[in-house]
Amino acid sequence: MTIGLSFLLGLLAGSVSYFMVGLWWPVAVLVGLFAWLAFGLLDVKMDSTFTLLCGMFLIFCVSLSAMVFQANDQLSGLQYADTRDVDGVEFRYPVPLLGNARYGEAVYKANGCAACHTQQVTHDRVTLDVKALAGEKNLAAAQDAINRFHKATGRESSGGAALGLPAGEWETVVTGANARDALKAQNFLKQAGASVDVQVRFRGEDLIQHDILNPEGRGWGRRRSVASDYLFAEPPMLGSVRIGPDLANIGARTTREVLMSLLLNPASVRAGARMPQHRFLFERVAVGEQGRHIIHDGEQAYRPTEDAEALVDYLMSLKSANYPLPEAPVNKPFTSSIPESASADK
Amino acid sequence: MSNEPIEAEAKQDPREAVDRSCRGPVLFLAFSAVAWLLVYSLFALLAGVKVHASGMMADSAWLAYGRIQPASQLALQFGFLVQLGLAVSAWVLSHRGKTVLVDGGYLLFGGLLWNAGVTLGICSVLNGGASGLNGLQMPGWVLPLLFFGFVLVGLSLVQTNNRRTDEETSPAQWFLFAATLWLPWVLSGSYLLIHFFHVKGVVTNVVDWWFIQNFAKVYLTFVGLGTLFHFLSVLSGRQLVGRGYAQFAFWVLLLFGSVGGVTVGAPVPAWLPALSTVAAVFYFFGVVAACICIKRTISGASVADNEDSASYDLMRLAALIFIVVNVLNVFFAFPGPGAVAQFTIYGSVMDLFFNLGFVGLTLVAALYHIFPRLAGVDFSPRMTKVQTMAIILGVFGVLPPVALGGLMSGDAVLGSSFYFASLGGLLLLVGSAILFLNFLGAILFSIKNCDCIAGICCRGNKKEINA
Repeated sequence: MTIGLSFLLGLLAGSVSYFMVGLWWPVAVLVGLFAWLAFGLLDVKMDSTFTLLCGMFLIFCVSLSAMVFQANDQLSGLQYADTRDVDGVEFRYPVPLLGNARYGEAVYKANGCAACHTQQVTHDRVTLDVKALAGEKNLAAAQDAINRFHKATGRESSGGAALGLPAGEWETVVTGANARDALKAQNFLKQAGASVDVQVRFRGEDLIQHDILNPEGRGWGRRRSVASDYLFAEPPMLGSVRIGPDLANIGARTTREVLMSLLLNPASVRAGARMPQHRFLFERVAVGEQGRHIIHDGEQAYRPTEDAEALVDYLMSLKSANYPLPEAPVNKPFTSSIPESASADK
Repeated sequence: MSNEPIEAEAKQDPREAVDRSCRGPVLFLAFSAVAWLLVYSLFALLAGVKVHASGMMADSAWLAYGRIQPASQLALQFGFLVQLGLAVSAWVLSHRGKTVLVDGGYLLFGGLLWNAGVTLGICSVLNGGASGLNGLQMPGWVLPLLFFGFVLVGLSLVQTNNRRTDEETSPAQWFLFAATLWLPWVLSGSYLLIHFFHVKGVVTNVVDWWFIQNFAKVYLTFVGLGTLFHFLSVLSGRQLVGRGYAQFAFWVLLLFGSVGGVTVGAPVPAWLPALSTVAAVFYFFGVVAACICIKRTISGASVADNEDSASYDLMRLAALIFIVVNVLNVFFAFPGPGAVAQFTIYGSVMDLFFNLGFVGLTLVAALYHIFPRLAGVDFSPRMTKVQTMAIILGVFGVLPPVALGGLMSGDAVLGSSFYFASLGGLLLLVGSAILFLNFLGAILFSIKNCDCIAGICCRGNKKEINA
């Protein structure tokens, strides 16, 4: 190998051992030097099976430990977390699959629903809005802080504060800022003695739709999915292709009846749906027959089998991307715009 | 097995002796691979039909889209690519090492086990036994069978490589040897982690991504590159130019191909997608080195023997697809473009393009070269032309537009590109059916010619005669 190529290889080996394996930097430099010397000056004997085998085994171990074992170290200790639902009721999350839902997960797995549906909600970015409140005394200082902030970040002045900060009223200082800018604004304003209120917004196609805050949202979750959501999944069927919608919180946005009709004949729910029918999950019954779960499709009547019931139980239990977790918070509105009593609760 | 008569044979007439030792095992593996390609294209077409006609075949569970689609992937990757890869590896390793194929019986038996494993895997996926993971779709209990099958085949290949008579090895040998060892390591590693140690939660998916990454970026790439290195130099009658580049490519591709494969927004700690991006960029260095090596070997060269011109052209096309796919991969490994492509059918179509367009085409081209030397008769030229055209059109003409369509229509949207994809499926079915018939016909023909029956069935008698 030429000296240039082997130097590149040494460089790569050094950076891998520093950044990926996490060695102490002098050791990483030594590794890099060693690789350079071995390939460049001493010319590793690729003709020897032993050399090949040793190198390959070393790389296999690096790959296994860098990717799988590190992830396992970090994730295998995941535990329940406390969270609260939309009504503010606290509970432990995630909730294990109960009753029929566990069997429903097996039906989901057996029929390969994950070939078209994902169970992972993503977000694009987080933005922060900052409001400030200044009294008569520190109004000038606050106005100065806002000007300094705009100068420091190079952001266009926006919001009500562009017209001047009124005394004794909350006024928006910056909207759509990233975390660093928002922190800067907060620090400047606090130094000037003003009160600061921050609103956190998560943006992304998958998240809940909001006319102003997240206009492109499809309502598949209130936050992104994280590893804790899948503590009880066997295995987590994340999926990789969305030919149909994401199902991470399908249980929170639809009803049993709609799901049953979707399984039997998707076109009856949404015209032009490409989802295949799953008639094998239903038994045909006589048209006149009465029963709680009988579904009519055209001129036929069907009764769901146990598999279909279990599958729908499972789907209804999927509500994962709904509840805030420490590592995945949901939108946090301005506390100043919430009425006094509600903000006092928190 | 006693080796003395085989060695005696080797001294008599080197190349023919090598071919004779390869004949049974290699043809067996190649034939089962071609049969699996036919199974794949049938299932892929069925899966396409399910998308168009939502009410069709809705009464039988085993025809559900979610069962046919993974079954087709299984047939393509484990049935077709791995087996044809092994067949070609066996031939290349013994020819490059100038030695007879050692312990062909292991190869045959291992191949049988492997086929049994793939068949059981597909049947149980169709029967609802899928594991629910993206890469390792088959149920856990099939994996040990596949592992032992592969290890038996690998034993034969590794022994053949060890008994090479040339001191100096060529890059083709490194790549094929590494691939032969890598798959059982990765397969058994993933099996143990998922089904024996029962890793928790999303770690299962991390192991699965690790397997997918190693299977595509290391195993299949190495099989494809090793085959290309060997045949491009042999068919053009030149030495492989740029041994240093090949060496560089070998280590870099191995190191950076073996980590990563985690998508941008995946519900795992953020360092995993970041690591994947970094690894993808470094991996590209290896790709560039491999391409320099290929470019230097074939630039200005032309095919030495006109009979091989079809193989040679197919391989150059495959090399081009290798470059294109990898350039696109490194682009979409960055978070911005990656987020656009995520969850669309772009990713799966690109994987298919890589599997069929690069690895599949390379191996089929190698088969065109190997087959007449082993079977004693050639494929029917007219059928070969038709099947090659059908496969190329099915792969090259249809998949890139479908990938583009998937990219533009975004996720959770079904565009017209799906109809187009089925056209590709149909062409592929035609191509693979003709290839299968062609193969079968040629084998039957050569068996009729009696000479080969002696070669395949009565090796024992021959040994006695020689003795």
